[in-house]
Amino acid sequence: METSFAITGKGYIIVAADTTAARSIVKMKTDEDKIKTLSPHLLMAYSGEPGDTIQFAEYIERNIRLYQIRNNYPLRPPAAASWIRRSLAESLRSRKPYAVNLLLGGYDTTTYTPHLYWVDYLGTMTEVPFGAHGYGSYFALSLLDRYHDPEASLEEGIVTLKRCIDEVAKRLVVTPGKYKVKVVDKDGIREIEL
Amino acid sequence: MSIMEYNGGSVIAMVGKDCVAIASDLRLGNQALGVSSNFQKIFPVTDRIYLGLPGLATDVTTLRELFRYRVNMYTVKEERDIEPETFAHLVSSTLYERRFGPFFIEPVIAGMSKTPAGGLKPFIAATDLIGCLNFAKDFVVAGTASSKLFGVAEGLWEPDLEPEDLFETISQTMLNAVDRDAYSGWGVMVHVITKDKVISRTLKGRMD
Amino acid sequence: MMNSFADRFSTTGPIAELRKAQANVEDDQFSDAAWGSEAGFGSLAKGVPAFTVPNVPDPSAFLRLHTDDHADPNCRIKIQHGTTTLAFRFQGGVIVAVDSRATAGSYVASGTVKKVIEINPYLLGTMAGGAADCQFWETYLGMHCRLHELRQRERISVSAASKYLSNLVYSYKGMGLSMGTMICGWDKTGPAVFYVDSDGTRLKGDLFSVGSGSTFAYGVLDQGYRWDLTDEEAQELGRRSIYAAGHRDAFSGNTCNLYHVKEDGWRFIGNYDISQMHYEGPTGTGTGYGYDLRVEGRTSANPPPAAAAA
Repeated sequence: METSFAITGKGYIIVAADTTAARSIVKMKTDEDKIKTLSPHLLMAYSGEPGDTIQFAEYIERNIRLYQIRNNYPLRPPAAASWIRRSLAESLRSRKPYAVNLLLGGYDTTTYTPHLYWVDYLGTMTEVPFGAHGYGSYFALSLLDRYHDPEASLEEGIVTLKRCIDEVAKRLVVTPGKYKVKVVDKDGIREIEL
Repeated sequence: MSIMEYNGGSVIAMVGKDCVAIASDLRLGNQALGVSSNFQKIFPVTDRIYLGLPGLATDVTTLRELFRYRVNMYTVKEERDIEPETFAHLVSSTLYERRFGPFFIEPVIAGMSKTPAGGLKPFIAATDLIGCLNFAKDFVVAGTASSKLFGVAEGLWEPDLEPEDLFETISQTMLNAVDRDAYSGWGVMVHVITKDKVISRTLKGRMD
Repeated sequence: MMNSFADRFSTTGPIAELRKAQANVEDDQFSDAAWGSEAGFGSLAKGVPAFTVPNVPDPSAFLRLHTDDHADPNCRIKIQHGTTTLAFRFQGGVIVAVDSRATAGSYVASGTVKKVIEINPYLLGTMAGGAADCQFWETYLGMHCRLHELRQRERISVSAASKYLSNLVYSYKGMGLSMGTMICGWDKTGPAVFYVDSDGTRLKGDLFSVGSGSTFAYGVLDQGYRWDLTDEEAQELGRRSIYAAGHRDAFSGNTCNLYHVKEDGWRFIGNYDISQMHYEGPTGTGTGYGYDLRVEGRTSANPPPAAAAA
């Protein structure tokens, strides 16, 4: 089952998504990257209907890039999130809506604040200190209510993320295999190995 | 599974003596799962009008943005603030535009409107999801806890409440009604609009 | 299709049993229950429970038609759903913790349900699924545990008690019973927890959680669980896990009932308001469990010293 997590910490956001691409009962691929880099300080984890996910993510990626080329500056996280939500909400009432759930993690370099947005395929958006999509959220959210700390160092944040991953591995019937984990902070985006 | 119950949430507005009050819960859910306990459903439209938008959360945001745009355009063209009655009709016609593919929202409007004599009088209204206006003289309710809100409000509300008493009445109504609704709660926000000011408070509601 | 056809004409299985029961009721105009209280136990006193059933060809389908709120949200009879219950074994015995909310659709029908059934001084049963099913059959189990005690001159083991219940509900499989329960107690083997449900599943284990809020409870429980927890730590973990579920799950909440089973039987520890735990903690004096309270004043912003000063 597709699962993604994101948590904020002191000056950073960690975004994690499982790496399996499944079709029917078959794992087609086990190292799929489902986290896109939209701008130097903005990450987007996407999950949902196969096909829709890639198409939508690439559409967003290119348009955010186009904005940056035209204006010399990238959109700040709240503005980017608003526009992405709008795209989903408009798609919802089209002939063929995108069924894509998102976690948007961005670091606002002007206010030195990390922002995390939970967005679902309907275009529901809310800013959260931590978020999850998929069945994993039913295990991780209560755990994060207990262990999450907005001032945690990156090391502490990774420990908390590992708790989520371990819990889902322990309890979810169809366990996601590996996770891709990316961090965004004042220095930009990088991938980390767990 | 009903679309109107997908995210949960409720709003109520009440009339008092030279004041109105509007209250909402703060829950955003994904059916049984609570996602956020800080999801605002009430938005200021002008200094004297507040708009509550309970229903499908994606449409809460979309309509909030749409009304902000339309009210701004009105203000620029007319060079004055919109009146509550006029705004209620704007809400109604905006929703009826989508008669055959509606926004899943039941708006609640609370405000103070100008009288010909130059004073201000309380105004509340609500519409269904395709814009049928309901101008009430006492209170209006909407959202997943609407049936429970009706029950409590019928029992507690009385005419000509002063702002402090109206605040107490609407707060108790909201707090007790959402406690009987699985999809509403996780905190309550109340605004009391009087002739000269707006008092906004966040209430400590049950968090389960 | 095949099954329903076979059911209609077979002489064994639940449907046939129902047919026989129906025939009995029709024959016996004045059942024993009609003549007196049977010591307050109604049909239970006769040993083998007998139920009157709807006078239709397929009674369980009839029942399902009027109680299944997934298929038809407007169905007339709403059976209580949505719960969080948990039980775990540890060095100091067994902790049993449950919430107290009953919902019918989105309506919170009650916030004061007792979801722990005190079967006898050494056995506890938890309640998830059909409230009446759990209450009735666990009370019935209590009677048989007492009979076992009188006949065998020794207390029934948790294993045997749970097996008795499991066999009992299994014999009604397919007729619409709905229960997910944990039978907890202390016997010769020490602390024991068994999960029993109306499918006929019976599992021995150290840690279980059942109900719509169980995933949230597991999230906290698994992370905090160790065999060598002290009594206080274990009770706190049980409470904290029920709080987590009550907070996140719309169909769980109101209060938490906490029990501790030790060698000398179970003890009721307390009833804790979940909202009070959120704001003030279980004792009403400490800091609350609530996320917003726990992290109050903490921010993930990290302005450089110069910017922070400005």
